[in-house]
Amino acid sequence: MAERTTSILKAIGNPNKARIIAHLAKHKGETAEDLSRHLGYPLPTVYKYLRELEAARMVESEVKDRNQLYYPGDFKLIVSPENLMEMLEEQSVTDVYRAKFGDEGMQRFKEVVEKAKAGKMTFRQAASTLGITYYEFVSLLDETGAVNE
Amino acid sequence: MLIVLKRKGKLEEYLKRKRDEGYEVLIPKAIARELLDEPRKYAEEVKKTSPALASNIINSVERMNVAIKQGLIKVKTVNYRKYSEIMDNVRRHLSQLEAKPEHAVKKGDPELITIIVQLYDKSREKVFVSTKDEGLLKALKPFEKRVEYEVLESVQLN
Repeated sequence: MAERTTSILKAIGNPNKARIIAHLAKHKGETAEDLSRHLGYPLPTVYKYLRELEAARMVESEVKDRNQLYYPGDFKLIVSPENLMEMLEEQSVTDVYRAKFGDEGMQRFKEVVEKAKAGKMTFRQAASTLGITYYEFVSLLDETGAVNE
Repeated sequence: MLIVLKRKGKLEEYLKRKRDEGYEVLIPKAIARELLDEPRKYAEEVKKTSPALASNIINSVERMNVAIKQGLIKVKTVNYRKYSEIMDNVRRHLSQLEAKPEHAVKKGDPELITIIVQLYDKSREKVFVSTKDEGLLKALKPFEKRVEYEVLESVQLN
């Protein structure tokens, strides 16, 4: 969610990109050439902006009669102190790990930590078992409090 | 342990205290790579999705680098010619524990244990090991008769 807000803010932070979206809201289904002509931007720049806006899901396109037509994406931006906080809040190694491996990964981490704490494997072996670096493993131990228990 | 101390902002304080107490803080090269190269690479990977985290990691790595440059942490090289047999033994022992081929064992543990043996052979003084890693201490056990070492009890991570 925070990632999406960031990409939207980045896109509309560039007035030229914001103008493309605004123009498409009024003139749906224009080609890159149309946009270049109507807005006065060089065609390669329009293509670059459209690529970035499509990647941020703020613009959509379809091919009709060999022409690629562009439409505004379906998005809404709500800026509130809460979502700014969420966006700017420092993520932890645990957040990154959870996003990558999910709850199953967290469960696996706990199981491996139990083995490491019982001295059945070293921390480096534990990291290797989980397929992460030693740095990530020790950071996870620290953040989850497992190292001090 | 150095990583945790760094994360808690207590590394410099710990290193200076140890220096004042007359200790030398030594790490093998493989561990220096874990402290510098691995976090840098990780920060690069997460930079796009977690820029604040990546920036914190890079700053933290830089301070670790400064501690090494200032000599508060010394990077020691294993004398492979003299101690390759010990390295091989440790690697074999760990690979059996891990049920993995020897080449898959990460270098940090064998290098750390070998450095402990190497330091003791040279100085004949007790070597202190600062760690919370029970598995590593267990792996050190077979060397108890050859090396005099102690776990540094004063490590406070909280």
